Amino acid sequence: MKKKIAFYFAFYLAKISIIALKMIKRDATQFPGKLAITLCPDFLEKIGKPKTIIAVTGTNGKTTVCNMIENCLKENGYDFMDNQLGSNTNSGIASTFIKGAKLSGKPKKDLAVFEIDERSSIRVYPYVKPTYLICTNLFRDSLMRNAHTEFISNMLSSNIPKETKLILNGDDLIVSNLSPENKRVYFGIDRLPTDTDTCQNIARDIIVCPKCDSKLEYDFVRYNHIGRAHCTKCDFKSPKIDYEVTKIDFENKTMTIKHQEKEEQYDLIQDNIINIYNMLATITLLQELGLKQEQINPVLSKQKIVDTRFSKEKVGNIEVITQLAKGMNPIACSRAFDYVRKESGNKAVYLLLDDLHDAANGSENTAWHYDTDFEFLKDESIKQILTAGARYLDTKVRLEMAEIEMEKVVCQREELSLTEKLNLEGIEKVFILHDLYAMDLKNEIKEQVKRKIQEEQK
Amino acid sequence: MEENLKIEILFPEFCNLYGDLSNMKYLQKCLPKAHFHETAFDEEPIFVKEKVNFIYLGPMTESRQEKVIQKLLPYKQKIEELIEQNVVFLMTGNALEIFSEYIEKEDGSRIQALGIFKIYAKQDMLHRHNSKFIGKWEDIDIIGFKSQFTFSYGQNSEGYFASVEKGIGINKESKLEGIQRKNFIGTYVIGPILILNPYFTKKLIQKMGIEEPKLAFAEDVKKAYEYRLKELQNL
Repeated sequence: MKKKIAFYFAFYLAKISIIALKMIKRDATQFPGKLAITLCPDFLEKIGKPKTIIAVTGTNGKTTVCNMIENCLKENGYDFMDNQLGSNTNSGIASTFIKGAKLSGKPKKDLAVFEIDERSSIRVYPYVKPTYLICTNLFRDSLMRNAHTEFISNMLSSNIPKETKLILNGDDLIVSNLSPENKRVYFGIDRLPTDTDTCQNIARDIIVCPKCDSKLEYDFVRYNHIGRAHCTKCDFKSPKIDYEVTKIDFENKTMTIKHQEKEEQYDLIQDNIINIYNMLATITLLQELGLKQEQINPVLSKQKIVDTRFSKEKVGNIEVITQLAKGMNPIACSRAFDYVRKESGNKAVYLLLDDLHDAANGSENTAWHYDTDFEFLKDESIKQILTAGARYLDTKVRLEMAEIEMEKVVCQREELSLTEKLNLEGIEKVFILHDLYAMDLKNEIKEQVKRKIQEEQK
Repeated sequence: MEENLKIEILFPEFCNLYGDLSNMKYLQKCLPKAHFHETAFDEEPIFVKEKVNFIYLGPMTESRQEKVIQKLLPYKQKIEELIEQNVVFLMTGNALEIFSEYIEKEDGSRIQALGIFKIYAKQDMLHRHNSKFIGKWEDIDIIGFKSQFTFSYGQNSEGYFASVEKGIGINKESKLEGIQRKNFIGTYVIGPILILNPYFTKKLIQKMGIEEPKLAFAEDVKKAYEYRLKELQNL
C-alpha cells in the first residue's frame, strides 16, 4: 500500500512537472522521469507499459536505427511512444512512460520504441522487459564511461531479460554472443569485394577465441572485429545469419536480403557500410514484427540521415560534406576516416574532434586517439588536413605517428580562422568531420567553406 | 648499441586497451634499429630464454588478468631475477596488479597474483574512477590520465613510481603513484604515457643503455607536453 502511494505520488508530481515545464517552454524529456525515480526508486517497474516494447542498443547506430524504425511504423499506421527527443537512460525512458500514460498509470499506446544506452541496462532491464532488443554492434567507446567491450557485453548479458527476443549483428562476434539462452535472430552482410583477410584497424577486441584462447581465424574482416571468424581448436564460430545481405549493387543503390531462402530487394539510402548495417537491423526488426518488404522499402528509401550526422551539398563544382565523427569513440572516427579515404576525388578534410566541454573546463584524455585509425588519412587523395582546437598539438603528434606528410597539415589552436588556410586548388570534396557537441562550430565552418568556394569560383 | 636492444611486448592481442600499445609504436619510432618482439599468449615469453632490455605489458580486461597471472606464474622467479638485473619493465593500467599479492573481487573472492610487490588490488566494477594526473618521477613531472575499476592498497612507500602533485596515487587516499623497484615501473596512468611524457621516455631509453637517445618528433612532443603540463597545473 505504502509502495502504491509512493508510486502515485511520484507519477502525479511528474505529470504536473511536464505541464509546468511546457508552460515555461522547457523540454520535459529527462526531468519528470528523474523526479519520479527519485521519489519512487522502483517507478519503472510499477508504471504501466505497452504490450510490445522495441529496444535498440549498441555502441553506434542506435539513434539512426530508432529513427528508421519509427518512420516505417508511423508510415504504416502504427501508434507508439518513443524517446526520440529525450534521453536514452532510465530517466528518459521513465519520462516517456509518464507522458504516454493515462491518469490511471496505464499506457495509452500498445507499442513503444526505445533507444537504450548500453550503460543504462543495469537500471532499465530489471523493470522494462523489451519484446525485441536490437544490438547494432559493441565497440570501444568512451574509455572513461564504458571502459571496454567485455565490461559492456557482460553488463548487457547479465541484465537482458530472458523473455526478450534478440536481434543481433551476426557479423559482430561480441554482439552475437550476448545472453546465449535468449531467443534470437541474426542479421549480417555476406563477404564484400572490399573485405579483407586481415584486419587493418588498430582496435580489435576479439582476436582470440573467448572459449579456448586460441587465435581466431577470420574468414573475412570488414572493419575492426566486424567480419566472420572461427576457432581452429574448438567449435566457436560466427553464427548462421538469418537475414543476410547477399548482394549490394552500389551503382544502382540496391541491396538484396535473403531470409528463409527468399530474396528481396531494398533501396540503399546511402552507400556507407555503417548505414547499410543500420538499414539491415531495421528491416530485420520490422520483418520480425510482421511487416512486408512493400511496407518497408517505400518508407526506408525516402529516409534521410539527419543533418547532424551527415550532410552533402554541392557548392559550385565542389561538394561540401559534413560527417559526424564522435570524439572519444575510436570506431566512429575510424569509420569516418575510412569513408573519406574511399570516396572518389581529391579532398580536403577538417578534423574538429575535440571535446569542447573539456576544452573549456579541463584537459581531454586523448588516449582514444591511439585506438583511432588516423593512418587512414594517409591517402593520396587527401590533399589537405585542417585541424584546430584545444588538443591541436596532440593531434599534430598523432598525425605524425600516422606518418602523414606534415606539409599537408594545418594545425592550430584557433578553430574559426582555419578556413583562411583551406587550399581549394584541385579539390573536389571538402569533408568536415566533427564531434557530436561541435554542431555550432561545424555549421560555422561549413558556411565559411561555402563562402570561400563561392568567392574563388566567381 | 641500439641494434642490440631487444624489447618484448607481452600479449598484445588483448593487453591493448586504451591506446596503450601506442607506447610501443612510439618507442619503435625512437629506436628504429632495436628489435621489437610481440609475444602471443600461447607462446613462451622470450625473456625466459633470451636477454631482453625492456618488457612491456598493457592494460587488459578483468577476466584476462586472471589468465595473464596464470601464464606468468611459472616465470615469477625469472621476473624477479630480471628486476634485480635492472631490466626495464613498464606495466600500464591494471597490468601492475598482475605483480601484486592478490586481486580482490567485489564478492570478496581473491585471485592470487604473482606476489612480487607488497600491494593488493580491489575491484569495484560499478564505479569507474577517472582523473587527471601530475606526479614527480626523479626530476621529471609525469602527466597523464587514470581510468580504472580497481585501486591498490598496501605498502608502496618503499618503492613507488611517482609522488602525486595532482590527482591520486594507487588509491584515493594515497599520494604515491604506482610501484617501482630498480627499473620495474608499474603505473595506473594509462594511454600514450611515453608520447605524453618525452622527458620520461628519454630517461627510460637511457636506462636501456642508450646515452643520447633521439626522440621521434622531439620538438612537437615536447611542445605538446609543455602545453598539457601547464593546462593540468592550472586546473
